[in-house]
Amino acid sequence: MPETVSPPTADAEPAADLPAAEPAPSGEPLLPTGTRGRRHHPLTTVRGELSPGTSLGLGVAGVVVLLGGWAVLAAMTDTYLIPSPAEAWRAAMELKADGRLWDDLTASLRRIGIGYAISMAIAIVVGPLMASFRSVESFVEPQIGLLRYIPASALTPLFLLWLGIDEAPKIALITVGTVFFNILMTADVARAVPQELVNAAYTMGAGRFTVIRRVILPHSAPGIIDVARINLAAAWLMLVVSELLAAQEGLAFRVVRAQRFRDVDTMFAIFIVFAVIGMVSDLGLRWLRKAAFPWSEGSR
Amino acid sequence: MTGGLIVRGVTKEFPSRRRRPPVTALDGIDLHVDEGEIVCIVGASGCGKSTLLNIVGGLDTATDGDVLVGGDRVVGPGPDRGMVFQGYSLYPWKDVAANVAFGLQCARTPRAQAKARVEELLGIMQLSDVAHLRPGQLSGGMRQRVAIARALAPQPDLLLLDEPFGALDAQTRRSMHEFLLHVRHSTQCTVLMVTHDVAEAIYLSNRIYVLSARPGRVAAEIEVPFSNSRGPNTQRDPRFLDLRDEIEDLLHGRAVA
Ligand SMILES: Nc1ncnc2c1ncn2[C@@H]1O[C@H](COP(=O)(O)OP(=O)(O)OP(=O)(O)O)[C@@H](O)[C@H]1O
Ligand SMILES: [Mg+2]
Repeated sequence: MPETVSPPTADAEPAADLPAAEPAPSGEPLLPTGTRGRRHHPLTTVRGELSPGTSLGLGVAGVVVLLGGWAVLAAMTDTYLIPSPAEAWRAAMELKADGRLWDDLTASLRRIGIGYAISMAIAIVVGPLMASFRSVESFVEPQIGLLRYIPASALTPLFLLWLGIDEAPKIALITVGTVFFNILMTADVARAVPQELVNAAYTMGAGRFTVIRRVILPHSAPGIIDVARINLAAAWLMLVVSELLAAQEGLAFRVVRAQRFRDVDTMFAIFIVFAVIGMVSDLGLRWLRKAAFPWSEGSR
Repeated sequence: MTGGLIVRGVTKEFPSRRRRPPVTALDGIDLHVDEGEIVCIVGASGCGKSTLLNIVGGLDTATDGDVLVGGDRVVGPGPDRGMVFQGYSLYPWKDVAANVAFGLQCARTPRAQAKARVEELLGIMQLSDVAHLRPGQLSGGMRQRVAIARALAPQPDLLLLDEPFGALDAQTRRSMHEFLLHVRHSTQCTVLMVTHDVAEAIYLSNRIYVLSARPGRVAAEIEVPFSNSRGPNTQRDPRFLDLRDEIEDLLHGRAVA
């Protein structure tokens, strides 16, 4: 019964002249008789758009909930097992006051900085070469396929034996623990360069190494930053392993040390430091990608 | 200047994969483009047009047959054969001027000379205003103009165009045709262009090769009777319309009436 549905006149004449058929009061706009379609609130829409303020607010709320949960948990348990946020903060301030925090931080950052820089440098050379030359790929891929399944942490005793107990084995562990993943992921990024961009370069007279240097590397650069950002977590993991065994300072060393004195306050203080450094480096690399490569899809 | 292009008996077979039979994309293609000519290749989708152009460009190798440019056998890509690809192939991190300058840098052209050449090409293509925008900030028509300017920069003997206007709307396409005729007039370059738009092929070219579908073979070679003075009236010329019908019939496998 379509007639009963069509408002406001039940005129079933299909060819009816619409404006004339509407008994709308002269001059007044037509009033909607209902709604069509559905729209949800942006907060609950799949892929909804949020204003930057709302996003930030939600993020802050999340951190507050996290800290609140911690505080509740701390209040419910023995303070020798879980300190309150305030106690952890106090411990952090103490570490900061006597300079140990700074020493630990610089020692750990230095190890990560050197070890991870070596790892990325190797990956940036080997990855694009693997992606560019089948010969290199066929030769290197099985080696990496085997080596990357040896847990780098299991190599620690060997590195201590070979390299002594100073900085060298720690840096080596960070490099070895991340380099294979960095190489494979960098190669993937370089393989994703569209063939037409490479072909275009050849038809403009570019040689093979010009193609790598001026097409494959620039196109891969934003992706390589993403690789560095993602695998940085693994670098921290290797740092902890290296400092657990033989170290005189460092963030992970401080945690192990604190365990000896049942000093959970200090442990939690260091955990916070880990979390904050991780987040800052992540945001920093994201910002770098955006600032340096505004043309890239993922940078927007 | 070196002579034109000769394609002799070019066959391309893609090897079988996963127990599927090998694909013969091209079967004994013979064609030629004389110096200063503009020649179009038309054919159904998948008949091997891009494959043929890639072989001429040296980006792919023929299973059999030869490609000669100015009497030399083509064994690989080189700046003597500029190419514009079916998809957008501009470098997204370089601005328009830097994209156009790419080939000049490869040739180690002195900086001042390269700059002048880029400015000249941007002028011809009416891109001077957008010289400092990146490809992502351009319209489709502008991007293809940049791609053509970029391919022309190293002064190739032969310009290879693979459906350069395929992704453009009719109006932009028409203005691109005028651009191409203008460029050809001012650079006197030899052009081999692939298209599946028959009217476009007739309007732009001196000669047309019609390829049959799977495997691609030369089904017909057609002289276009219009001189180099083409204008809006050309498309209404009865000879134009007859030619279009004739080629459409060939493409769709019907006997010519
Ligand atoms: N690398 C490849 N491996 C196997 N088959 C291929 C390969 N490249 C192309 N082909 C096949 O060769 C044939 C010709 O492809 P080509 O891209 O040259 O067609 P085309 O005429 O340019 O089509 P379009 O008009 O759609 O661009 C197609 O059937 C395609 O499936
Ligand atoms: Mg094609």
